[in-house]
Formats: sequence, C-alpha cells, structure tokens
Amino acid sequence: MDRDSRIRLSTTASLRREAFGALVYSYKDRRLLFIDQRLLPYLTSDGTRTVGEIADSLAAEGNIPGSRLEKTMALLEGLRRKGVLDEL
Amino acid sequence: MNYDLLRLGLSAPICLTWEMTYACNLRCIHCLSSSGRRAPGELDTDEARRLIDEWARMKVFYINVGGGEPMTRPDFFDLMEYAIRNGIGIKFSTNGTLIDRKAADWIVSTDYLDVQVSLDGASADVNDVIRGAGSYARARHAMDLLAERGFRFKINSVVTRRAFDQLDCLFDMARNYGAELRLTRLRPSGRAKEVWNALRLTQAQNRSLYAWLQDHPDVLTGDSFFHLSALGQPLDGMNMCGAGRIVCCVDPVGDVYACPFVLVPEFKAGNVRDSSFAEIWHDSPLFVHLRQWQVGGTCQECPAYTKCHGGCMAVKYFTETPLDDPDPECVFKSDSDAVLTALPLPTPRSIRAQKSPVLIG
Repeated sequence: MDRDSRIRLSTTASLRREAFGALVYSYKDRRLLFIDQRLLPYLTSDGTRTVGEIADSLAAEGNIPGSRLEKTMALLEGLRRKGVLDEL
Repeated sequence: MNYDLLRLGLSAPICLTWEMTYACNLRCIHCLSSSGRRAPGELDTDEARRLIDEWARMKVFYINVGGGEPMTRPDFFDLMEYAIRNGIGIKFSTNGTLIDRKAADWIVSTDYLDVQVSLDGASADVNDVIRGAGSYARARHAMDLLAERGFRFKINSVVTRRAFDQLDCLFDMARNYGAELRLTRLRPSGRAKEVWNALRLTQAQNRSLYAWLQDHPDVLTGDSFFHLSALGQPLDGMNMCGAGRIVCCVDPVGDVYACPFVLVPEFKAGNVRDSSFAEIWHDSPLFVHLRQWQVGGTCQECPAYTKCHGGCMAVKYFTETPLDDPDPECVFKSDSDAVLTALPLPTPRSIRAQKSPVLIG
C-alpha cells in the first residue's frame, strides 16, 4: 500500500462508529477489531480519494500530523491483510 | 484490551443473546434459563422480524441464539435466514437432538452461521447425568452429521466437577472432529442454583483449569472464566462483567436483561413490546447505572483488580453475595470458604419426542 492506493471497507466487513472510533467486524473470520478514530477517515473512504489525499487533507485541517502517515499506512496494510480493507 | 473503552457501554451490544424460546426437549439439571416449557406469549414471527430489523439498523454484528432449544421453534430457519439477509451473523447453540441430515445440509449451506453443540462430558455416563439419558448419543450424532459435511462447529461444554477430568478427552474429541472446543463456567443460574454446590469446581480445580487454558490457547471461553485471570497472565477476552455494557439478553417474551445469566426482575431493563430495543439499550435506568458502576469494596484494593474487576455479577447474585464483594469463587478464597457438597443429583427427564421444525426452501 502506498500514497496512491485507494481503499474501501471490504464487503464482508461492517463498521459501527463508537465514542473511541469504531468497531469493525469481519464476517468472513468472525474477527472483531477496535479502531481508533484517527483511522476512521480511511476506513469510511468510498475509494474516490487516495490514501495520500486523505492524509494530506487531515494534515491541512490540523487533525493529524503528516509524520504519522508511515505508521498509518502500516496499520492500513495490516487491515488489508486481515481482509477488512480492499485495495481498489 | 482497554477496560475503559468498554465499561461505559457501546452504541449497540457486542454479545447479544436472544433466548428465542424456553421450549426444550431436554431438562438439563443445570439449565441457566430453567427451560422446558414454552412461555406463553412468545414473540411471534412478525415481532421477531421487527426486532431483527431494529438490530440491523443498530448495526448489531451478530447475535447468539439460544433458548431452551431454539430449533424447536417452527420459524427457526426462517428467522435465522432473515437475520443473515439483513446483515446479522448467527451463532446458535443447540443440544443437537434436532439436527438431522436436512438440517445439517442447511447449516452447511448457510453463510455467516456458527453452531455450537452442547455436551457436558466426553462420555455418556458423565454427560447424561446432567443432560438426560440419550442426550450424549444424540449430540454426537449431530456432530457426526456436521463433520461429515466438513462443517467446523463448536462443542460447548459447561465445566463441572464431574467432567473436570475429561477436559483432555473433550479437547481431543473436538480436534478429531475438526471442531473448536468452547468451555463455559457453571453459574448458579436457573436450575443450576440447586446443583451448583454439587457440581462447581474446587478451588484446586479452578487453578488447574487456569493452567490448562493457558496451555490450550485455542480453546474458547467466551470470557466465562475471567475471574481466574487474577491468577496471573489474563486470559483472552474482555476480563470484565459486560452486563449492560457490551452484553444483554432478550428472552422469549421480549424482556431485555443485562445478562443471560441473571434473568431476574432486578436485572430486567425493559420489554421490546413496550419500548424499542434501542431505547432500552441506550436509556434504560438499569443499563445507565451499570455503565457507571464498578465493583467496589475490598476488590478495588486488590492488586489483581484490573485482571478480573471483581468477577461475575450473576454468581454473586444467586449466592446472595453483595455485588461489591469478591466473586464467590475468587481465586484468593480457599475451599473452606465455599460450601461444596456431594449431594445426589436430580435425574433429568429423558428427551421428549419433538417434531422437526419446518425447513423453508
């Protein structure tokens, strides 16, 4: 996964917003994940913006420092490997 | 796992148990819901569908379906398929007696459906004393049918003093079936109140069980034994009482309780015929209270408090232990603190003949 990747929540997963961010449930392997709110803009993406565009927009709003992108990408890659996210 | 993330409650339950019916063709002596006879005024099919619709709107991910024996409901298959079509996974618990070839085919062909078959011993002489004559053979038959079809089911076993020495046998049985083993704590709820002191584990067995679970990390517990986490490395799971926070139970007539192990008026939050499930979940005084409450008393001064958070409310309630006191099976209690008996156990009734439910399609 890189800045140009476009991602979307898998059709076999469901996301429910909570005070801390969200819960994501993978129907395929029955896994329940606790998602921090900082990842929400990525997990709720409809795939029209790239990961980099989302990150830049968050940084511009002051919501997340640009230096977090590398760590964020690693987390998103982990979710993709778990089948929670699809790369388009 | 961050305790505070869960203690204050969630927008919808994670572990929602729906006891669909109290009708059952067995009379297990430890039944937590004292099941056997169908309750008058069970939610009908339309009411059940409307409840499922609401859970779907709330984004409940899955429901634990039980009873009684859920497969005794004539609309069982219809309701399970309806829930799945609406995005809700199903995990249902069954005694297996009503799983014939047709039902097994349906189970295998239905996505997002998990099944656990109840068995409380690795041999008929141990199991049937608790669950009734012939129940072991019928459960094994159900498992054989599912295993023949390559279906990965769970074996769910309530751990009792009688069956404690069979844990390895149960583990092997599950492995031979390609199944998962799930162990559940015996709580003095329902009919189990009468036999708890005769069937509960000794403290030595509790310590052994903790070590056994650490050696068998693939065995599921559904957070049943979080009181044992005080012994050392916490067991996998939430390690807290989830009643009203992440857990609740809807009974056959639509009463909503904080937990399936305390089906008593004091822990009833409302009824779905009077209020929406969402209103009850979010705003009932009982659930609001539980989300603010923590076990107090001496537990809060215990160095192990963050591992067990004072233990199980249901066990305390039915042993008339104040909720701020330690769990009656707190790992730091000795057997001399407990009342262990070897009373003769009641004899469960034999399996009642039951017409198979109608399989739609």
